[in-house]
Amino acid sequence: MLKFIIKRLGMMLLAMFMIILLTFTIMHAIPGGPFTSDKKVSVEVEQALNEKYNLDKPLYVQFFSYLNGVLHGDFGPSYKYTGKSVNDFISNGFPVSARLGGITIVFVLLAAIPMGIIAAVKNGRWQDMGVMAIATIGVTIPSFVIASVLIYLFAYKLNWLPTYGIDTWQGYILPVVALGGYSVSYLARLMRSSLLEVMGQDYIRTARAKGLTEFGVITKHALRNALVPVVTVLGPTVAGLLTGSFVIEKIFAIPGLGVHFVNSVSQRDYTTIMGVTIFYAAFLMAMVLLVDVFYCLIDPRIKFDS
Amino acid sequence: MPQTMTEENKWDLLDSSNEAREKIWSKSRTFAGDVWFRFHRKPTAIAGFAIIIALILFAGIGPFFTPYDYAVQDLAMVNIPPVMKVYEGPSGEYLYITQSLKVVSVGQDGKLGKQLDKLRSEDAKSMTIFESDGSEVALYYGGNPYVMADESTGTIYPSKYVFNASYVLGTDSLGRDILTRLMYGTRVSLLVAFVAALVNMLIGIIYGGISGYAGGTVDAVMMRIVDVISTIPLTLYVILIMVLMGSGLQSIIVALGSVYWVDMARVVRGQVLSLKQQEFVVAAKTIGSSTKTILIQHLIPNAMGSILVTVTMLIPSAIFMEAFLGYLGIGLQPPLASLGTMCNDATANLRSSPHELFIPALVICIIMFAFNFVGDGLRDALDPKLKK
Repeated sequence: MLKFIIKRLGMMLLAMFMIILLTFTIMHAIPGGPFTSDKKVSVEVEQALNEKYNLDKPLYVQFFSYLNGVLHGDFGPSYKYTGKSVNDFISNGFPVSARLGGITIVFVLLAAIPMGIIAAVKNGRWQDMGVMAIATIGVTIPSFVIASVLIYLFAYKLNWLPTYGIDTWQGYILPVVALGGYSVSYLARLMRSSLLEVMGQDYIRTARAKGLTEFGVITKHALRNALVPVVTVLGPTVAGLLTGSFVIEKIFAIPGLGVHFVNSVSQRDYTTIMGVTIFYAAFLMAMVLLVDVFYCLIDPRIKFDS
Repeated sequence: MPQTMTEENKWDLLDSSNEAREKIWSKSRTFAGDVWFRFHRKPTAIAGFAIIIALILFAGIGPFFTPYDYAVQDLAMVNIPPVMKVYEGPSGEYLYITQSLKVVSVGQDGKLGKQLDKLRSEDAKSMTIFESDGSEVALYYGGNPYVMADESTGTIYPSKYVFNASYVLGTDSLGRDILTRLMYGTRVSLLVAFVAALVNMLIGIIYGGISGYAGGTVDAVMMRIVDVISTIPLTLYVILIMVLMGSGLQSIIVALGSVYWVDMARVVRGQVLSLKQQEFVVAAKTIGSSTKTILIQHLIPNAMGSILVTVTMLIPSAIFMEAFLGYLGIGLQPPLASLGTMCNDATANLRSSPHELFIPALVICIIMFAFNFVGDGLRDALDPKLKK
């Protein structure tokens, strides 16, 4: 177990180093410095700016000073907003995004698992058909389309829910449904097929033979094993929800990290792009690792060293 | 029963030679024929296949049949819906109120005619007077929605809904024909997806093939690299590449073409690893075939089934990602259209003209459906072992 975690951590660190190197190289490969703009600045001012941000040093010195900063949790200043640091963006935006993502993952689990169970128990009947139809449609519709349709229906036509903002609890409903739509469909399908497979096994027959109710068979015996594949994909699902929130935050004007990231991309705010990318990558990797460890804990059949 | 048998006398003794006994009487199916046989029995797969062909035709040759250009703007004709509410004027001609408060005459067949000449403004009555076929009509803007009425009596002309025959799917916020833009958008989306899938396939086959065939330390190192790459979130990587190369078709293709090969490399490696142990590869080695020949002639063709399945599953993800980038506004540069950028352009006036967003969104969904169905069908047809 410990060996597994250490090995994964080592790989994570290597991947992190590669990401930092990659983002750094990409950002410095772009023609034009961060202060190249329409307004012509005098040579002295440019020199002073370059000196202030260490841009006059050789590239490897810049890289190691940046790496040093990142290791100390300092992503440097924003090039576009004077007086703001990338850390400010992250500390302002991330809690908002994390709350939205957290609520969404709870919604996804609460919706997908019962849907999958119903579909599997009523296999072949209309309940199954209905769930599968919803799930098939759900994986083919991009989240921004779901969001737009929901806004049009519930905010414009019916006037039930706000179109933007998350100041009230009603404001969370549309973003959460739009963000989680894909994952709900995907997980419901997975839950259904995995429960169907488990229900065909011998120990389920044994459980039935000893006189358990169908409810008891499913909740006590079948569900535990059927949940394992669902837990496996939770890591990628969390990653998908967080990166998917770029679009959702933009549509619903939620001041999260995703919006800062998209804005920094369109404004070419290089340090913010770098910092937020590295932060996102580290967070996602940590989440995936956490889920993998959890996965090994709940399923004793999995060997850690394999 | 083979044809030759029935022509001969049924009661004749058959030839009892060894060849006749060993002969396979039914026609042997090729691999492709076998795949087609399993594929064509799935109605969803066939439907998806037909839709893809139709979309390719729509995107490929559709632009030749449209009188409009995807980039030319007509600011007099902005945000016109596919189904218009028109008023029947005194001269019998239909009148349509545009969003810029101009009045356009509409023929009985739904074709948009010329813009009416404005005669004068009657601000006190909240009316603008236009000339329609010799008579005067008034646009009353005092209430919501705006209506066409008779100036002196104030009676509202009877209204009805007609289909837009000039712009079948309406126009967007810059007065461009949506149908034409849809053709170009579908073309871009399909092109991006196909090219990205092809590039990924090539990189994946080469990388996975070498890794699987070489084995040992080379394999271990190459697979560790793949492991590290697969922990990098792809969306972030694609966005970084787009930042580096700037917006445009080439950058999207490069960005998407260079990210999804990791899964492909894993699939090919797995296949090559198991195939290279088999007798026919050992035989090829024994007669002195070069590594290149063995890889290209023996291993890759045998792994083609899994490779094709992975590719068809990859195309929808590429389309998804392209739409995602387009929607975020870091995809194509205007006036070029892709389905994602069309949706992005339409978000601003979702409330007044929802058709501008829903039409390209529907096309995205249809493409996704079609490719998912074909992918499922191909998986079952190419590799029955994979079937759940």
